[in-house]
Amino acid sequence: MKVVQVKCPQCGLPIQTKVLDQLFYCESCHTLHSRNGGVNIVPYEIADVRPDLKGQATYYPFWRVFCTVNITNSNVAGGTLYKLSKYMQGGGNTGSLNVFVPAAEMDIGTSKQLAMSLTYEPPRYRPRMDFGGRERLGTNITKEEAADVADFVIVTMEAEKPGVLQSLTYDLKVNDIKLIYLPYSSAPGLVPAW
Amino acid sequence: MSIEVSLNCPACGGAVKAQEGRTTLNCQYCGSALFLEGDAGVITIAFKNKMDRERASSLSQGWFRKGWKARDLATKGKVLEAYPIYLPFWMTRMRVLGWICGYEERQRSDSKGNTRTERIPKEEMVLHDYPLSEIACDPGDLGIKRLRNFSGDSGLEDFTMIPTYEATTSKDQALDHMKGEAVTNARRDSRVPHITFERLHVLPRAMSMVYYPIWVVRYSYNENMYFYTMDGVTGEVISGRAPGDHLYQSLAITAGTSIGGIMAGLGIASGVTEFALGGVVIGAAIFFLTYTFFRHGSEIIQGDFDDKKYGISTLKGLAGMSDLFKFLPFDMRR
Repeated sequence: MKVVQVKCPQCGLPIQTKVLDQLFYCESCHTLHSRNGGVNIVPYEIADVRPDLKGQATYYPFWRVFCTVNITNSNVAGGTLYKLSKYMQGGGNTGSLNVFVPAAEMDIGTSKQLAMSLTYEPPRYRPRMDFGGRERLGTNITKEEAADVADFVIVTMEAEKPGVLQSLTYDLKVNDIKLIYLPYSSAPGLVPAW
Repeated sequence: MSIEVSLNCPACGGAVKAQEGRTTLNCQYCGSALFLEGDAGVITIAFKNKMDRERASSLSQGWFRKGWKARDLATKGKVLEAYPIYLPFWMTRMRVLGWICGYEERQRSDSKGNTRTERIPKEEMVLHDYPLSEIACDPGDLGIKRLRNFSGDSGLEDFTMIPTYEATTSKDQALDHMKGEAVTNARRDSRVPHITFERLHVLPRAMSMVYYPIWVVRYSYNENMYFYTMDGVTGEVISGRAPGDHLYQSLAITAGTSIGGIMAGLGIASGVTEFALGGVVIGAAIFFLTYTFFRHGSEIIQGDFDDKKYGISTLKGLAGMSDLFKFLPFDMRR
């Protein structure tokens, strides 16, 4: 086991941070990179904080998984089946949607609640170049794991409708995954700040 | 899990601590981001041994007196040797998330004695973290297959002084086993008896190779050799073999035969077919339990031994007998 100092693969400067993170953000050239399984530059977006926000905001990382779902069979006991198509752009039993997967280490219940609310109502924000000196949480869920969590969110959307899900046959294809930083104000509770 | 590894920052030389399973850390002195390059992403840590020979031997008295062991073991048992070893374990925390759907069957009888089976649909969300471990070598006849304790200080100072077993199983093998165990745990916790749909994702949160101190204590009793193993961090007995007591065995079979017979007799004497069959089945189960203790109780075994013939394995055998209840004309589990 060897400890190495992390340097930015883009500009070569040592990374200085107080955030315990699986991804490394260079304050100089704004490059984000990962090191598990080799050095890889990670594409990301940062949402701007709304101008009228009072108080502090903290950036939470999310994997935005753009996927295509094709439901071939479903069976619900004791209720009406609500179609996933409501949330898709394609209509029918096939369509595409963005699933938001919290990438930070947090309570498993909060993580699920954030994933569901953002997937049902995708955030609309103005992008910005940096964090503007605001705090951010580190990531703990990898890009590969985000695809698995997206699958879970899809089934949860179906299972949480009225009735008791008995079977579901579907295909899920992940088209693109990108890291999105969304600002939240912390008091009281987690309030979107974009 | 709260294991920490002490290291030095390569930029400023300051002392830094890495949490078990994490590959990134920050230096609190110079603020540098640091990355742990392990063997294929596996962090190796060793727990500090907190026991010594005297304490390992003296704690034997408590274990000798516990359970259904020979009544004179505490006076006649003689500790011959006690020595520490380090055993390697794969350790991880598996996050399982997904859905398990299906149904539960319940039998209901009306006042006329007609029985019908009701099917109750169930859907259960699985969101759970399971700390799991698996031994990474062949422990021989020590009866240890997994870690019981996940907390403690780590250190490498006595690691080279104590005999250490080499790891012989691969990370991928261990991951596969522990993923399977996590899925089994999730199915058990979901409590869906008949599964019609299952979608589970297992995300390993950290993977470590942990060297754990174990004390092996060998002792004699009536010229026979026995042993037990002790946790080098907590002082708890993990596994062991001890002589049983003939009196307890005799009492068990006598009581089992009597109570089992009475249960069956009462059932038959009731004159109701359902009670008669129920009494016979319950009587047979009691007899089976006590007979198993009578048959194998000459040696008391604690720990993960494949040849353990009673305890959890007996209960599993008894659970298998519950299939008998299905043939009864009424539901005993109601």
